[in-house]
Amino acid sequence: MSLSTNNIWELAELYLAGSLPQETFVQLKARLATDSAFATEFYEATDLIRSATDSGKHKRFKNMLRDIHREQTKKDTGSKKATKHVIFTPEFWRTASIAAGVAILTSTITIWSLKPSMRKNESRYNMISREVKGLQIAQAQQLQKQQQLEKNLDTKTRKSFAPTSDVMKTGTGFALSNNGYFVTAYHVLHDENGYGDSVYIQNHDGQYFKASLVTFNAETDVAIMKVEKSGFRFGKGELPYSFAPAKAALGSHIFTLGYPAEDISYSEGYISARNGYDGNGMQYTLELPVGYGESGSPLVDGKGNVLGLLTAVGSQAEEKTYAVSAKAIMELMHKLPDEKCIKLPKSSHIGRMSREQQISKMEAYTFAVKVYKK
Amino acid sequence: MQSQFNIEQQLLAALAAGDRAATEQIYSQNYHIISGWLQKNGGTSADAADLFQEAMVVLFGKAQDEEFRLTCSIGTYLFAISKHLWYKKLQKQHREPVPLHENKGDDDEDTGIAYEDDINTHKEREAHYEQLDAALDQLGEPCRSILRAYYHHDKSMQEIAASFGYTNPENAKTQKYKCLTRLRKIFYAGMD
Repeated sequence: MSLSTNNIWELAELYLAGSLPQETFVQLKARLATDSAFATEFYEATDLIRSATDSGKHKRFKNMLRDIHREQTKKDTGSKKATKHVIFTPEFWRTASIAAGVAILTSTITIWSLKPSMRKNESRYNMISREVKGLQIAQAQQLQKQQQLEKNLDTKTRKSFAPTSDVMKTGTGFALSNNGYFVTAYHVLHDENGYGDSVYIQNHDGQYFKASLVTFNAETDVAIMKVEKSGFRFGKGELPYSFAPAKAALGSHIFTLGYPAEDISYSEGYISARNGYDGNGMQYTLELPVGYGESGSPLVDGKGNVLGLLTAVGSQAEEKTYAVSAKAIMELMHKLPDEKCIKLPKSSHIGRMSREQQISKMEAYTFAVKVYKK
Repeated sequence: MQSQFNIEQQLLAALAAGDRAATEQIYSQNYHIISGWLQKNGGTSADAADLFQEAMVVLFGKAQDEEFRLTCSIGTYLFAISKHLWYKKLQKQHREPVPLHENKGDDDEDTGIAYEDDINTHKEREAHYEQLDAALDQLGEPCRSILRAYYHHDKSMQEIAASFGYTNPENAKTQKYKCLTRLRKIFYAGMD
């Protein structure tokens, strides 16, 4: 069986059914890992077939439910449709609204770092990188060791390693290009105590990669970095998202992925003001629950466009979140010398996908940024 | 003798496969409890039917995941999902601010959040299917009918070949692949 885009549907169907011949399966895996155009087309095909199949299954189930309901309530279809006064009883008060509260509670041991230029207002503006101290260091190291052990078990060949010194601070970063350039918040790397000794990213598989600073703008709080390993790739294909430098509309629904803890975390909200803290035109103000450690997380709209990167939260009384707009990221990129030219994707590949699919596509390109100090 | 847990697991597996008897059993065991509760809490019997069926669809979606193991009984899960769904509906109608959480013991914080997650996943999935349906509607004939027959009505390629006048299933399949290519173009059109 040949691997080409001409018979992509047949390949996708057999692949999903698990009935590809072994030989073709091996060839397919290799092709998917190396040919990103083919991979994009193939995954679109499998996603579409899966969605169509699942959607059909759900429709048949719903029809059956309606049928069962009709059968079981034949006798009692009396018209008791008088509207009653609605009473809120405490037992169904929604519980998820405290999710954000839980996230913040788990971070109470952390010490908030502050952007130096904002010190005069420090009580109202807190950087959301996460400082790891005392007990947390021990926990983090234990987790690292554990993850390291697990990793060694299943991927001996990949040779990634965990740094040995102490974690000073953690944030989140996301890819600018598949070959290792990424962006994070500058204050994750540098604060009043100076720079850490080394910076590593830890991807969603738990693997560590060393990274170095390429350029930054302390004023906007944007830093561009690169994974040092040669031949490094964040994921299989090109970046799933695109970048939108134009100001997004007030009220736009947005979401973010970040690392407030060892696990990636999702939250969603909306743009609540066109400008940021103190009317800063390079920022957005958001209603978005975030945890400390999510500095540098991508701010993404429903169509898969990156609108900016998270930088800070307001005081507890305000609970606003602030993001630097994508424009600041792009301006910084344009200052790079030509040989480091990063080509941002022109379009988002995840515009029409369900949120779960968008998240799963983005996971490989969003990772924890860990700053170490001896 | 089988434990209650095993029986529920089998029931769930059958539900996931779309088995009618299992679905009927879960329906008859739980509908009246939830309908009764709802009518004491401001809902009508029509609301109860909608609510319960939606909760069943959430359970159905959840049961598709092979790793899904309920930590409580099917009845408890359906009841909790129904309550959350009903609350969401009231909130939407009345635009009330979210009241502070009050711990009632039967619905502790973690599981409450888990139910919310399940409901959100369900809503997103429904929205995704709606987008797909909208794309299907834009397809011309015979594509729309062929894809509906295959995916929605679970017809085999033999049946489709016969009812759409193809000489053999292979030809029908080739046509189906062409239709999928068109569907993909429409469905992913918003990307550019």
